[in-house]
Amino acid sequence: MNSYQQLIRNFCIIAHIDHGKSTLADRIIENTGLVSHREMKEQFLDNMDLERERGITIKLQTTRLAYRAKNGKEYIFNLIDTPGHVDFTYEVSRSLAACEGALLIVDATQGVEAQTLANVYLALDEELEILPVINKIDLASARPDEAKLEIEDIIGIDAHDAPLISAKEGIGIEEVLEAVVEKVPAPSGDAGAKLKALIFDSYYDNYRGVVIYTRVFDGKVKKGDVIRLMNTKKKYEVTEVGVYSPGPMPVSELSAGEVGYICASIKQVADARVGDTITLDQDPTEEALPGYKKVQPMVYCGIYPAEGEKYENVKDALEKLQVNDAAFHFEPETSTALGFGFRCGFLGLLHMEIIVERLEREFDLGIITTSPSVIYKVVMNDGTEEMIQNPSNLPSPLLINHIQEPIVKADIMIPKEYVGSIMEICQERRGKMLHMEYITESRVALHYEMPLNEVIYDFFDALKSKTRGYGSLDYEFVRYEKSNVVKMDILLNKDLVDAFSMIVHESKAYNRGRFVCEKLKQIIPPHQFEVPIQASIGQKVIARETVKAYRKDVLAKCYGGDISRKRKLLEKQKEGKKRMRQFGSVEVPQEAFTAVLKYDDNK
Amino acid sequence: MGLYLHIPFCIRKCNYCDFLSFPADYDHQKAYIDALRKEIVLYSDMYHNEYYVDSIFIGGGTPSLLNIGLLRDLTKELTSGFDLAKDTEITIESNPKTLNKEKLEAYLEMGINRLSIGTQSFDNELLTRLGRAHSAKDFFDNYSLARKCGFLNINIDLMFSIPGQTMEHWKETLRTAADLAPEHLSFYSLQIEEGTPFFQMKEEGTLVETDGREDREMYHYAQTFLNEKEYLHYEISNASRAGYQCRHNLKYWSMENYLGLGLGAHSFMNGERFSNETDLKAYIKAGGIAEQPMGKNTSCIVSSPFTVWNHVNSREDDISEYLFTGLRKIEGVDLNEFHARFGESIKEVYAHNWNQMERYIREKYLVNTGNRLRFTKKGIDISNTILTEFIF
Repeated sequence: MNSYQQLIRNFCIIAHIDHGKSTLADRIIENTGLVSHREMKEQFLDNMDLERERGITIKLQTTRLAYRAKNGKEYIFNLIDTPGHVDFTYEVSRSLAACEGALLIVDATQGVEAQTLANVYLALDEELEILPVINKIDLASARPDEAKLEIEDIIGIDAHDAPLISAKEGIGIEEVLEAVVEKVPAPSGDAGAKLKALIFDSYYDNYRGVVIYTRVFDGKVKKGDVIRLMNTKKKYEVTEVGVYSPGPMPVSELSAGEVGYICASIKQVADARVGDTITLDQDPTEEALPGYKKVQPMVYCGIYPAEGEKYENVKDALEKLQVNDAAFHFEPETSTALGFGFRCGFLGLLHMEIIVERLEREFDLGIITTSPSVIYKVVMNDGTEEMIQNPSNLPSPLLINHIQEPIVKADIMIPKEYVGSIMEICQERRGKMLHMEYITESRVALHYEMPLNEVIYDFFDALKSKTRGYGSLDYEFVRYEKSNVVKMDILLNKDLVDAFSMIVHESKAYNRGRFVCEKLKQIIPPHQFEVPIQASIGQKVIARETVKAYRKDVLAKCYGGDISRKRKLLEKQKEGKKRMRQFGSVEVPQEAFTAVLKYDDNK
Repeated sequence: MGLYLHIPFCIRKCNYCDFLSFPADYDHQKAYIDALRKEIVLYSDMYHNEYYVDSIFIGGGTPSLLNIGLLRDLTKELTSGFDLAKDTEITIESNPKTLNKEKLEAYLEMGINRLSIGTQSFDNELLTRLGRAHSAKDFFDNYSLARKCGFLNINIDLMFSIPGQTMEHWKETLRTAADLAPEHLSFYSLQIEEGTPFFQMKEEGTLVETDGREDREMYHYAQTFLNEKEYLHYEISNASRAGYQCRHNLKYWSMENYLGLGLGAHSFMNGERFSNETDLKAYIKAGGIAEQPMGKNTSCIVSSPFTVWNHVNSREDDISEYLFTGLRKIEGVDLNEFHARFGESIKEVYAHNWNQMERYIREKYLVNTGNRLRFTKKGIDISNTILTEFIF
């Protein structure tokens, strides 16, 4: 190992949402003198507005920092941020693989959360040095000793000398930096060996094409090299290598132990997948880095242009998003109710919400999303299998031998007083308890196997609502399992509206049907005739509501020839009508599609 | 052309009213009428050679509150400034309790030949709820007095869907009105408008609006009953004896010219819509600077200090207004006239949503005879929804 390499520290920050990861990152950047306080936007690493607003990191950012330690030497810190949510586990694991150490931030007022734990386990799998840090010690409700104990009990690592800090107030930051120098190992690796570098993130840049974030393990890479991506087996010529500090800064080469970026005129991020190994085409390494996995969508929904929105606009926006998000899939589909649109695949519900929100806000599109669905494995009578993402495509029950649904292992952490109510909602959602453990005297971890279908419906909202926000959840796919699920349809005025169709477990169909009918009854305005709303399975109606007829729809008054007032009223009514979708003779407000999915505390 | 004159004075404001009106003493009345006369002068020079007036509507507010002398000054200004047709329909609006023999005789003498009485109901409890300043008896007294004095064309305004009003009340109201045999009857569904006491009560939950179904039942009853009593239902909210349709109001629904004078009044002249100042002080102040009569073909928004808003109708505005106003008439619109006026058939103009129109026709909300397009009875009930289709 050369002396330069010995001064490198590659590390990341693991924390639960709101535990102060981004704030600590800001402080670290500030204290290393890279960016002046003046130039900083709040929370430097989260650079999408949406992320800053939601306080979560979706896309990774990485930054090279220079730190002069107390020992007088100047170190190079590569701070790699990790996404903080259940949907992005694989991305997290790859960015962890690029590091030698991880700062584990625990909120002194909250303790260890399920998501943190899940990521700590990922870090331990990658054999990272974990440095616990207790944050928010400035708050009156801080219980740093309990937080330390939790870390020791739950994770089993020594936390007695964990720095006590307040990222917000800038307390204890230097202690953290010194700990990084002392405890995080310098990267190993041989700069003279054949190139072996990991892609741990990538994004699309309008001018440079795909920018790959990489960690070089062995060898060197420079401009002009022809690289080969070992899993996709594609070749590209390197046009630029550099580091972020924080803006892109080209360097002559990246060598073993370093973290930086590579541009190679790659057209979309799907071609430079996270987890892939980069080597030189002329002189390739024998073996790729372990852990490559092509991430697959777990949750699907339909996205349709709302009334007055152009199909092409939605398509363009989806294409732009896909260029930057290898985990996001879409293909055209048609609905009799909603017309032409797209079936879109996501890693999970949060991923879906983020994409939908970006379409609405960044692209300013009017869209309708249909009920999210998992992928069902349908085993036909003739033994063939079909994977079904759209409830409307479910083959006739006569042709089906049985249906299998995806099961996940769900790890739930909650304060103990909520154990009863959370076990109840898990039970309601067909969860099977694997085991339960007391993490501390006051906190409990519940481990369940549960159909993903139930998790994506409203489980997370219910968990948050029942635990006043203190519950946390992590889940991973385990297997497909035979299940008694059925397709439930919604009929408005006797006409089936395919966009409302959903696949539900037989035991839940009655409740769900009633819930959807009640919601729609509240949302659909009165017509001049009665509008029956029915939920049905096959020919059998399982729930029914009626929107009573009549509304005032005549302007009886004339006001001294003020026609402009009449026009305004009609224009307003027309505007309101635009936000409606016409199904046969029934008008349904667009909110109906999301409203039927919302968790209802009172039900 | 028609002339509308707004008299914004009332004894008190009714609980449902969002029109421009205020209580006023003689001095205020005089200041207002002086300004209004200035406005008449301003326009008469511009229009008197080009158009003759065949309808005048003195509306409010409560014009019958106006001092007789001031009203006489006003009508004199009108007759000297504009060319009036021999049979000009001249209406004055009134409220029960505000009329007396002296006033009624003066109206007739001034040439006012049509009297509109806004009674709304004959039920004292409902009148109190509405915040009306009169009783049922006040109405009967004023009505018979008007007949005695010689009014041969009287309209009565009636209101349905009043909170607390039952179908029986409404039937009784219609029977009572028909027994009096007025030449004209208006029947309005109560609308709860923002900014009124009723609106606030509704927000607070102390007032429950009549439901849509009952509203329509009352309306349907009125249609049938008035027809039996030989009233011709000729506009969504109006019925009359044959030959007694309100000529002035029909101008609003037929894209004819009308000039609105006075506070907040609206006009439609030669394809341009414009309207006046709605602030009383500002209106009176405008009267002080309105010295010169306007020349011909000048823009009123530029030359009239009273005008605060104008809009020159586009072809599309004209087309949509022709239809959404014209279809208020029970006979509907003349499709040949439409073609002649706009150079295209209605089907060509609305090619983009003609499917929807055909659905309304197929489902019997609209009737298209080829020569005329009109609402059916059930079409009237959803007229707004259908009319929005004609907005571009």
